[in-house]
Amino acid sequence: MKIGEILGKIDRRIVFGFMAIVVIVPFFFPLNVTGKVAPPSQQLFDAVEEIQPDSKPLLISIDFDPQSMPELYPMLKAILRHAFSRNVRVCMMALWVTGVGLGEAALNEVAPEYGKVHGKDYVYLGWKPGFAAVVLGMGKSIPETFPTDQYGTPLESIPMMRGVKNFRDIPYAISISAGDPGALTLWIPYVQSRFGQKLGTGMTAVSAADAYPYLQSGQLTGLLGGMKGAAEYEHLVAEAGYSEASKPATQAMDSQSMAHLAIILLIVLGNIGFILTKGRK
Amino acid sequence: MSFLLAVCFIFGIGPPEAVKACDRPNDAGKCILLSWKLSPDDAGLKSYDIVRTDAFGKDTVVGSVPSGIGSFTDESVRDNVRYTYRVVARQDSLRAESVASGIAVSRAQWFNKARVNVLVALVIFSFLVFYFIRHARAGRKLFIRRIAGLDAVEEAVGRATEMGRPILYVPGLAGISQISTIAALNILSEVAKKTAKYGTDLLVPNRDPIVYTVALEMVKEAYTEVGRPDMFKKENVFFVSDNQFAYAAAVDGMMVREKPATNFFMGMFWAESLILAETGAATGAVQIAGTDSVHQLPFFITACDHTLIGEELYAASAYLSRDPLLLGSLKGQDWGKVVILAVLVAGSILLVLSGIKGLSFLHVIYSFFNIS
Amino acid sequence: MMKQGIPRLLCLVAGIVMIVQFFIPHPISEKIFSESLRWVRIISAFALVLGVRSITVHHGTRIIRKSSGWGYSLVALVAMVVTAVIGLFGGVDPHATALLPTSIGGFSFHLQVLYANLMVPLGATMFSILAFYMASAAYRSFRARNKEATVLLVAAFIVMIGMVPIGSAIWPKLPDIAQWLLNVPSMAAKRGILFGIALGSVATSLKIILGIERGWLGGGK
Repeated sequence: MKIGEILGKIDRRIVFGFMAIVVIVPFFFPLNVTGKVAPPSQQLFDAVEEIQPDSKPLLISIDFDPQSMPELYPMLKAILRHAFSRNVRVCMMALWVTGVGLGEAALNEVAPEYGKVHGKDYVYLGWKPGFAAVVLGMGKSIPETFPTDQYGTPLESIPMMRGVKNFRDIPYAISISAGDPGALTLWIPYVQSRFGQKLGTGMTAVSAADAYPYLQSGQLTGLLGGMKGAAEYEHLVAEAGYSEASKPATQAMDSQSMAHLAIILLIVLGNIGFILTKGRK
Repeated sequence: MSFLLAVCFIFGIGPPEAVKACDRPNDAGKCILLSWKLSPDDAGLKSYDIVRTDAFGKDTVVGSVPSGIGSFTDESVRDNVRYTYRVVARQDSLRAESVASGIAVSRAQWFNKARVNVLVALVIFSFLVFYFIRHARAGRKLFIRRIAGLDAVEEAVGRATEMGRPILYVPGLAGISQISTIAALNILSEVAKKTAKYGTDLLVPNRDPIVYTVALEMVKEAYTEVGRPDMFKKENVFFVSDNQFAYAAAVDGMMVREKPATNFFMGMFWAESLILAETGAATGAVQIAGTDSVHQLPFFITACDHTLIGEELYAASAYLSRDPLLLGSLKGQDWGKVVILAVLVAGSILLVLSGIKGLSFLHVIYSFFNIS
Repeated sequence: MMKQGIPRLLCLVAGIVMIVQFFIPHPISEKIFSESLRWVRIISAFALVLGVRSITVHHGTRIIRKSSGWGYSLVALVAMVVTAVIGLFGGVDPHATALLPTSIGGFSFHLQVLYANLMVPLGATMFSILAFYMASAAYRSFRARNKEATVLLVAAFIVMIGMVPIGSAIWPKLPDIAQWLLNVPSMAAKRGILFGIALGSVATSLKIILGIERGWLGGGK
């Protein structure tokens, strides 16, 4: 078989095997390539930096499910590490019922690293049905929308929630969002537009491109796009000395970099094969 | 009051001025908007307190804003009750109170004036659609450009018949309330008529139970219409799972086992689009896809033989059936796009011109197109 | 009349009411809207019963006829029944007591445990197939057959390299160019498609509301 035909018709099993190797090898031989931090990621980091410690809480909304975990869970943990290391209080909630466990897991993992206590340094409100009704209700009164936290404790008896009535008492809100309901379909039209809430978001790479117009218009202050955004935030948090924990997104970016290069190589080989066979014909 | 002013004058805090209170327009009531001119000593202030006086003279502090902010939204009012407001500048123990605002009464509106532009657009668009439907009813021929994906349907069904293999039709993963699902089901009806004519098996796995029941009825009706009710197999239209990836896994398994000659992917898709399309490509099937999900279009274009992009999916039922009413509405839709293009060009020109000194009044025209 | 007339009338009335509702901010209008959403959620829940019936009949028929692969149908039905029983009688809250105990010693088979240890890894596995399929699809179809395909190819290379850290290591300006490609030409094309989709949706909705498009009723004239 001529070289052109071989290159143009590589068996898909070889392609899959090659991709598997290229993705797995960086886990054992990390590249440690640090990319440039994109301005939207820097913006979100700066917005969390501006929040006063031991004061009004940062609101984080879990708007994703386990299927989007690889991209969004590392950014959630990085944001929590940033907040807790600066003694910024965190109020977490979930708009996706399948994300409730993820929020809890992240808090249970990160909070003990900084000696943070539930009720004093963070609170987990849990999930409520209703999507738009929930956030609109929070705009009027958070205690009325979430009378108790995820564990049944009345909000009025939770020390850090005293004096937190509605969005006016939230300096910054971040929606970690994988789709609908999320930042673009709920938080921007209902919360940012109506209540003027300062808002940031972390999204999957596929949907992040849709958020750029809102960044440009100022409706969003900060955007983490996919695994790359998560890696950039981990880098910013580590560089500022806030965390020495492992950086799963940064590790994964090595694999993603290699995977992209591998796909480019395959495309080039395919085109070489195409040109050679076309030339012969 | 004059004593207070004197105190303020001596200690140097100026009160806020020109407090205006009015009903928030275009809302469901129970809201009054306040604005005021900041105190001359705003830079050194701690906050502004907003004091509301109701019809009985009772004062209530309804909120507080930090210095630098000259507006407030009071959402704790009752409708049809007269209120006045005063704004109190605070600096430590010092206070400087404004003159009371005029009377404000909150009311619920029956029409959202900010959406007049949407109403105008809807009227214009509806007019265009009805005009061309009348045109079509009067027997006028309406030109529609070739859509390669839809022309390929007949050929694809024929191919499956020749090979003695079934056709797989995936009507998307969204519910019946999505327009793309309804468009997909309309195409299913046309495909089912063809498969009934040729005697080819048609497999329709569904992710949504309601879509399953509608698809079942549509396929059955299609077979009856063509005069082949005996060929209809109820077990070929079924519900699989409402979990996205469980559904994708099931359909992939079906493609690998049944080896359909033709795959149709029509409707709303998410991340599973490439999983379905690439598995189908691996089995050697001819694939025709159509979706309005812009994120998934690149995957379908890469992996499928023909792809209906965006509104081509909605045009499909008109294109395949050649029904005059449907063709007329398609024409109206196209002219609606012409109107939008004209508005875009005009709006861009107005935006640029309104930046010129003396022509800033033009912003009133282009701000009409803002949606709220 | 019963099969088509009444549904079309309901569709017409409901469609016009919801269009008018969009322009009326009054609380009565908002109540109609929120009530309609509640009805939709309740009806959707009932529809699940239809789905369960379909699965049972579909797989049951395959088992009875001993069609090829009927063993997998048996597994599917058993899994459905067992999960339903655990969910219904074992509850969804792992901390609350329920009718059915959901653990034996240290081994828990609570619904949340089943979800976290079965559904989540299976979903992640299916999702991860995308990486391999993207590679094979890109290899198969990204050929420079003509000028337009070549432009697409070059743009794809720039974006693929620019969006990973290695891109800025190769050339610091590459991520900016990649972002520009996504923000400007790609966004412009997307918006054009979205305009068409929006108009198509409005036209299709009008046709359905006015009864011009009747396919959704289940076919027939």
